[in-house]
Amino acid sequence: MFIIVNGCQQVVPEPPTLEELLSRLSPSTPFAVARNEEFVPAASYNECRISPGDRIEIVHPMAGG
Amino acid sequence: MYDQEKDQLTLYGRRFTSRLLLGTARYESPQQLLDASLAAEPAMLTVSLRRQLAGANGSGQPFWDLLSQAGRPILPNTAGCLTAQEAITTACMARELFETNLIKLEVIGDEANLQPDPFGLVEAATELVKRGFDVLPYCTEDWVVCRRLLDAGCQALMPWAAPIGTGQGPRNPNAMRELRKRVPNLPLIVDAGIGLPSHACQVMEWGFDAVLVNTAVSRANDPVTMARAFGDAVRAGRQAFLSGPMIVQELALPSTPEFGRPFSTNAVGAGK
Repeated sequence: MFIIVNGCQQVVPEPPTLEELLSRLSPSTPFAVARNEEFVPAASYNECRISPGDRIEIVHPMAGG
Repeated sequence: MYDQEKDQLTLYGRRFTSRLLLGTARYESPQQLLDASLAAEPAMLTVSLRRQLAGANGSGQPFWDLLSQAGRPILPNTAGCLTAQEAITTACMARELFETNLIKLEVIGDEANLQPDPFGLVEAATELVKRGFDVLPYCTEDWVVCRRLLDAGCQALMPWAAPIGTGQGPRNPNAMRELRKRVPNLPLIVDAGIGLPSHACQVMEWGFDAVLVNTAVSRANDPVTMARAFGDAVRAGRQAFLSGPMIVQELALPSTPEFGRPFSTNAVGAGK
């Protein structure tokens, strides 16, 4: 199915949960995640089901003012 | 005698000896940022959240390690957010990553001058306060917007001096000083638009509680020395404010006593 990760469309083989998607993408740590502009706590990754067209944001600490 | 240890800045119950906040962006190297932080001794370092960019300097795990090395409290921001929802979600992600309820709330309403969106700002602040955040909203000096933010539950404000990154210094001194008078006991941190230590000193003399700088330090030719200069300027301005400046006079007043001036017509000390 198609989903959008950090603004890029990606084809992923039906990952039912965010935890499985993150396991596949293995972003560098530390990171935090939002799905369709809603924050997903780390403790909820295994309950968060991914649907076609979902927009996933994975963010990291970065310099800022 | 001024004692900086006793004159602490209090934000949401947290106490800070320094009244300077330092941004972490646009340094030439991680080491330069670390050295600038050591020189400025800031109350907090501001940070952001971004998508990972391949090969980006100042991001991810190396940046995380650098922050640990700096050993300063962290103030995450919602920089660049254009809606209340974006800012709320970013704040939640920041809280999880940095393990702090403090958030420098930015909701940008104009991408040309990065002016805060007052409507989105109040909406986001209202929701974040409900969710237990300690919100530091980046706002203009507009009194009604500030009042709405206080009504939303904000216990400190971060009015701009000028648009972000311009270094223009206070563009609207009268309104800034008026804001200071309207809320004499509320922590007010001047954020954005400060370009020189004299700007920082000026707003501290007016009674603002702290100053946040980033570009003025990181884009100086010598950021480390500039960081130290800002630390000195903030301390000087704070002491001047606490000392109670003299009242400005319309007409000249001699500082040397007139009494006994030679060649004057008043006879003094000529004997009997």
